[in-house]
Amino acid sequence: MTQVSGMAKGMARRRKGQEAGTGPGTGARSGLRRAPLMVAAAVMAVLAACAKGPEDKPINLEIGRAVSDYIQQRRASRNAPERPPLTRAGLDDIKDPYIEVTLEDSGIFAYLSQQFTRQDDSPGTIVVWRTEDNVTLSLRDGVLVATRGLGNDILSSSALVDGQGPKGPSHSGARRYHIRGLDNGSWQLPMLCQREDLGAVPVTIVELTYPTRHIREHCSPAAPGRAGTIINDYWVDSRSGRVWQSRQWAGPNVGYLRIRQLTTGG
Amino acid sequence: MHITFRSFRLIPSALGSVLLGAALLVGPASTPAGGQTALTAPKPQAPRFKPLPAPSLNFYGSPGLIDMPSAEMLPDGQFATTYSWFGGQSRYNLTFQATPWLSASFRYNGIKTNGAQIAGFDTYYDRGFDVRARLWREGRYRPAVTIGLQDFAGTGIYASEYIVATKRFATPPLGGRGQGGQLKVTAGLGWGRLGSHGSIGSISGNRPAFVPGDTGGELSYDQWFRGDVAPFAGIEWQANDRWGFKAEYSSDAYALETGAPNVFERKSSFNFGAEYRLSPRTRLGAYYLYGSEFGITAQIQLNPKDPPQPMAVPAPVPVAPRSAWATEERHWSRDWAQSRKARTTLRDALAEALKQEGLILEAITLPAGGSSAELRYRNTRYRSQTQAVGRAARAMARLLPPSVETLKIVPMRGGLALSQVVLRRSDLEALEFDADATEALWAVTAVQEAPALAQDALVSEELYPAFATSFSPYTAPSYFDPELPFRLDIGVDLKASYAPAPGWRIAGAIRQRFWGNVADGRPSNSVLPRVRTDQREYAQFGTTLENLYVARQWRMGQDLYARSTAGLFESMFGGVSGELLWKPVSSRLALGIEANYVVQRDYDQRFSFRDYKTFTGHASAYYQLDNGYHVQIDAGRYLAGDYGATFSLDREFANGWRVGGFFTLTDVSSEDFGEGSFDKGFRISIPLDWLLGKPGRNRFNTVVRPTQRDGGQRVEVPGRLYEQVREGHRNRLNSQRARIWE
Repeated sequence: MTQVSGMAKGMARRRKGQEAGTGPGTGARSGLRRAPLMVAAAVMAVLAACAKGPEDKPINLEIGRAVSDYIQQRRASRNAPERPPLTRAGLDDIKDPYIEVTLEDSGIFAYLSQQFTRQDDSPGTIVVWRTEDNVTLSLRDGVLVATRGLGNDILSSSALVDGQGPKGPSHSGARRYHIRGLDNGSWQLPMLCQREDLGAVPVTIVELTYPTRHIREHCSPAAPGRAGTIINDYWVDSRSGRVWQSRQWAGPNVGYLRIRQLTTGG
Repeated sequence: MHITFRSFRLIPSALGSVLLGAALLVGPASTPAGGQTALTAPKPQAPRFKPLPAPSLNFYGSPGLIDMPSAEMLPDGQFATTYSWFGGQSRYNLTFQATPWLSASFRYNGIKTNGAQIAGFDTYYDRGFDVRARLWREGRYRPAVTIGLQDFAGTGIYASEYIVATKRFATPPLGGRGQGGQLKVTAGLGWGRLGSHGSIGSISGNRPAFVPGDTGGELSYDQWFRGDVAPFAGIEWQANDRWGFKAEYSSDAYALETGAPNVFERKSSFNFGAEYRLSPRTRLGAYYLYGSEFGITAQIQLNPKDPPQPMAVPAPVPVAPRSAWATEERHWSRDWAQSRKARTTLRDALAEALKQEGLILEAITLPAGGSSAELRYRNTRYRSQTQAVGRAARAMARLLPPSVETLKIVPMRGGLALSQVVLRRSDLEALEFDADATEALWAVTAVQEAPALAQDALVSEELYPAFATSFSPYTAPSYFDPELPFRLDIGVDLKASYAPAPGWRIAGAIRQRFWGNVADGRPSNSVLPRVRTDQREYAQFGTTLENLYVARQWRMGQDLYARSTAGLFESMFGGVSGELLWKPVSSRLALGIEANYVVQRDYDQRFSFRDYKTFTGHASAYYQLDNGYHVQIDAGRYLAGDYGATFSLDREFANGWRVGGFFTLTDVSSEDFGEGSFDKGFRISIPLDWLLGKPGRNRFNTVVRPTQRDGGQRVEVPGRLYEQVREGHRNRLNSQRARIWE
């Protein structure tokens, strides 16, 4: 998610250099004699490329942008500061709910704010969490049901929640995921999930310890001949029923996410 | 087990800076969270997309051994580029797996002589096409069998035919660790070049010999599977997923190369090699061939279905159901629809919201009833029009008053309304987090022909007249000159366009070359009117007017689109052009007719003309087949005054990749046409967004003709209708439906 962020920022900054290029030069034959000058001019042209108006942008312009974004992003990630240690005193100043999400494979992480919350015809409350650079995770009673902006996202998925009592999976049963991928398609992944209560575990999140029950959702393919097992873990508060922490599968591209609730905004 | 935070990077966010401040005050590292041991326990493999296998390729760019083919096929849709070199002979190959059982290759090769010239060249360059078809798949005991025609239509320097069988066996892993390997055993029979060494006789007649310098290009079916036949064989051992080793017995005598041209000496029939898979897409190989020569290959394989970067699009804003925010009776009033001010405010708010999505509002119609709305917009960001429809629908659901229930969404292109997508706002609200959101929404979405713009539509006041400019570098390649196979011009284009009203376009482009060598190319030797082969003469000028034209396109009637264009269309021709296209929104078939009267432009590409004028025009039929195949037939009169027809077959992927081939047969004789006998070629179009993994509409287009001649050539008129129109039609929208919520 850091990378996505760098890219978005890069885009915003890349609007300078408009109209800086000079147009006509000399013909090709003299150009051959003065190759270094011409190369310099070509480099200038790439740097000064620009477009205005409601038309599609030229391809070489887009490539140039992509390359310069990439360089900026590389430079930005090299200079990136270390992850600051979180403290409860610091978190207590924050008035809004935040979760921390870490991509397990890469260690890239982000803090997501609560963008939106609603209910629909299915049980549970949906909360959409969003990073500043527009990656969103949608959780239904703490169960990840959609991602956006990560690539090969979970387009949609069912959740085994009952909308009453403790959040997180409430029973065993069938779950299906729709995964975006390959040639612009959507791939259905039918799974059979077994809910298991692994007992009481205290969970500490930035200096605060919560009494939780560790709920595990063990999903195996429902269709014969399919491989791949999904294991989602949830740590659900024994009293309030809130999911304080979870580890959930977010599609083949992203792998597992570790999610913890840093602040509740209340 | 503790989770340390050392390897993590900071994401810049509001919260991040707050936390950074807090960290400076307090200091100590975060404590590990309880219950984390479960997170680090070994886990079974999660579902994943199966990586596509990439069989190793031979010196001709097809799956195979070293110089010999095997019976393997690449994964469907795979696109392979190979460079191979040994003993002064280099081959550049492009292979496309057009269907699971059929592949086609194009090859450009150079043979450096050390003695006599070949056809008058010290380095003989040639082009050729191969085609391979699998007769049956590998079974438990049965090998896969493939039949192949190599260099079947060129001048035929590599002409040969073969039937080959390959069986694979699992082998234990190298050194007893890691994944197991594979042994592939291959044996076949070859004719032509592949029947020239160790022949075991002939089953069918004599074979005409290779004639260098022939016009070539025609199917040489009179020699297929004729003459001597010889066996070849070999093994490939994939020791693990990185290393592979190959050994083969070659049935190619290299009779021409080892004769007077003395390209290399053939001392043995056995070849050996080792290959290393550098990345899932790249393989490098080193070989010892024919007892005398070292050789190398570099193999790169891409699959359009497997992008290097998965497309990541910034997340959309969720749809907030009206029940959550329109809680009072008065919120649902329809009075707003009577107020022009209210409607204009809505238009401007919607235009602003669409702008965030890269969409440009052209018009909105808000009928007095207050229960429906029609939005017309232009999409400048997303390749997928379905995705743009989804984003537009979200913006409408967010901003329109609660009484609006029916959302009509009209994608526009160049002033043409492409289709009308109709959605119910309640469906949009109800289904966003449905378990089967995509199919559920698509099932209740209608795609129909867009009606004419309503009388009371509120047209964007910002848009027309619209002025757009761009300044960007360009590259213009020229291929296959026998002296220098690849030539290139680079420079900058300054483009401008002006649209005074919807459907109108006045546009021009000035081109300044910085460097290039196309101007040193071959002069034309064509006996036809030189409508395309004077490329060298045109390349003598560095500052040129690429095009300058006025165009208008409009809907003429139901399912009927029209275009007229006048001016300088391209660097070589200008004139007047008219086109009519019939394409119903839900039809797979489209019919078109185009008529042009054109004058050849002067070499300096400014405002003057040469004295060649002609009428050229075509009737076209387009048809969308299943599984992404697309056929097109154009029949009519070509630029040099020749009559005939062009046949095209393309494979189109939902993500925008297109690979196809075409050929044109006209009444020009193959002698008059010259090298190649008739016009043919292939084209590849790769979307830039596929490479970069972020939204965009640009693409790399390449059309490669083995030879550029004057027969069967069409004028390049900017803004032909078909591609513009079908982009917003049912077939294309449907193939992209997975993106409607994205």
